[in-house]
Amino acid sequence: MSAALAVEADGLVKTFGKGDGQVRALDGVSLQVPMGTVLGLLGPNGAGKTTAVNILTTLLKPDAGRAEVVGVDVVKHPARVRNQIGLAGQFAAIDENLTGEENLALVGRLNHLARSDVRARTRSLLSDFGLSDAGGRLAKTYSGGMRRRLDLAAALVARPPVLFLDEPTTGLDPRSRVDLWKVIEDLVADGTSLLLTTQYLEEADRLADRISVVDHGRVIAEGTSAELKSKLGSTVVEARMADEDAAEQAIGALKSIGDHDPARDGVVVRLTASDGPAALSEVVRALDASGLVLAGLQVREPSLDDVFLSLTGHRAEDGQDEEIAAGADERRGGRRSG
Amino acid sequence: MTALSAGDRLARRGGTHVVGDALAMARRNVLRLLRAPDQVMFTLISPIMFTLLFRYVFGGAIGGLHGLDYVTYLIPGIAVQTAIFSAGTTGFALADDIKKGFINRLRSLPMARSAVLTGRVTADSLNNLIQIVILVLVGVAVGFRPQSIPGLILGILLLLLFALSASFVFALVGMSVSSVEAVNAATFPVVFPLTFASSAFVPTQTMPSWLRGFADHQPVSVIINAVRSLVLGDISPSVREALFAGQSTVSLVLQSVAWTAGLILVFGALSVRKYRRLGS
Ligand SMILES: Nc1ncnc2c1ncn2[C@@H]1O[C@H](COP(=O)(O)OP(=O)(O)OP(=O)(O)O)[C@@H](O)[C@H]1O
Ligand SMILES: [Mg+2]
Repeated sequence: MSAALAVEADGLVKTFGKGDGQVRALDGVSLQVPMGTVLGLLGPNGAGKTTAVNILTTLLKPDAGRAEVVGVDVVKHPARVRNQIGLAGQFAAIDENLTGEENLALVGRLNHLARSDVRARTRSLLSDFGLSDAGGRLAKTYSGGMRRRLDLAAALVARPPVLFLDEPTTGLDPRSRVDLWKVIEDLVADGTSLLLTTQYLEEADRLADRISVVDHGRVIAEGTSAELKSKLGSTVVEARMADEDAAEQAIGALKSIGDHDPARDGVVVRLTASDGPAALSEVVRALDASGLVLAGLQVREPSLDDVFLSLTGHRAEDGQDEEIAAGADERRGGRRSG
Repeated sequence: MTALSAGDRLARRGGTHVVGDALAMARRNVLRLLRAPDQVMFTLISPIMFTLLFRYVFGGAIGGLHGLDYVTYLIPGIAVQTAIFSAGTTGFALADDIKKGFINRLRSLPMARSAVLTGRVTADSLNNLIQIVILVLVGVAVGFRPQSIPGLILGILLLLLFALSASFVFALVGMSVSSVEAVNAATFPVVFPLTFASSAFVPTQTMPSWLRGFADHQPVSVIINAVRSLVLGDISPSVREALFAGQSTVSLVLQSVAWTAGLILVFGALSVRKYRRLGS
């Protein structure tokens, strides 16, 4: 394995449960995080993001496949891996009956830092995360956003070279989210390698050097944000119709235009084309010829949402669609915090 | 952005961390206990209530004590029951850490793997010691008169050892069910038969023979008898025959140590294995 990789996973498989209720959370996931870069693991609920993070951080053992963090095998040498990583899981893993300060100090001690380092790190992390005033208060009095920040601070106590953040901004208000993005960008600028999971396309777009799109335990696309977008053609044309029936008919009328078959999302029919303006007039003509009336029409750059929709047939941020697509029985067995 | 700049990697202390990490975890657990004094009070209320109820409600009616004062007979029994119940804390606390996800933070750290368990039982032993001391003081206030002070101290040590073994039993339960309510549900059906079908509250002579066979030989009775024998010191052979089937203090203590050591070995090993397998 190349020493320049912070994280490498190869064919990870993980199954939960037995018999009928069995869930294949990971179905051969491979990914790479080169040193000093950010990989965004993008996927909807139940895609397998947390399961992948848990395996890479030694909390779970894979059924098959292998993974290394800074060249160390996570199954064979979990203790050595734990010396290199920081983890902020999907659900804040802090002790509510300790103060913020005590939480960080405990993590420092268990990382075997020198006493003076524990004190210094605790103080400066509390201040960097805007928790100086709350540091002496029990964590159970913290707001959701403060808990998240404390959890992230706990992941950073030992200055780990490789960081895993599982949906770090889920549940934060827009301002806190932007603040946290800045913190993460600073960390990365200083050389930390990061694997980040998210359901937010905007977040992956902004923070990640490369993105792996996961769905149903598989990586279905991989590349930079720009590469993923260019797979779709350079522009997106969206025709808004009066109702869903009309939209369905429009799909038929627009079949021959653009790079891929058009897709319908409610009353909107979306297609991608390398030459947007030309496609625009073709769309108008084709719809006119079929006697369909437009309610709206626009041309825009493709977003990651479009990438997701075209790759998976459902939107990334819409849990409802995903629920239907995945089938209710596939998700039996419940979820545990992890 | 001082804390966030990478700077130099921080040096880690080398060597083994089995003790240091256990102490760090024990400290955390004690801090939590201090912050939930209501919980400590709650676990104390039932033994004190038992003491007062048995002493004043049943005490007068209980016979077969060969001239022993009932409170002095009773307190070792209540103390063992208290030790078992407060060992339940070990199970609750582990189940809580798992449920709240805190255990995931710990498992991602380079700490000694044993420390979650050893730190837990260390703190719980301390809690046990405090509970037993309070119980003894309450007992003394209502007439408990240990006949031998060295015996009392040895008895408390034996109780702590027994509580430790019970802690490992509950640790396994706590990690297996991962819900505080389930630990609770698992506690009562085990603890009540073991403490009532024993020599804890009344001598076993009046029990039907089938029950007496169980009550005399099950581990809870063995521990109670050992502690009681230590506390009573020198007693006449006829009393020793009636209460302990003639067994000497040394023999009772050795049997107790064998039971607790066996429980600690078996359930300690099972708990450690369970902890290691939490993520498989
Ligand atoms: N401990 C478990 N027992 C049983 N099934 C599990 C367990 N953990 C995860 N699963 C299942 O595995 C699949 C993947 O779960 P995972 O938590 O990895 O998804 P995710 O991408 O992190 O989702 P989310 O965005 O909702 O956090 C889901 O179907 C989930 O129900
Ligand atoms: Mg998740």
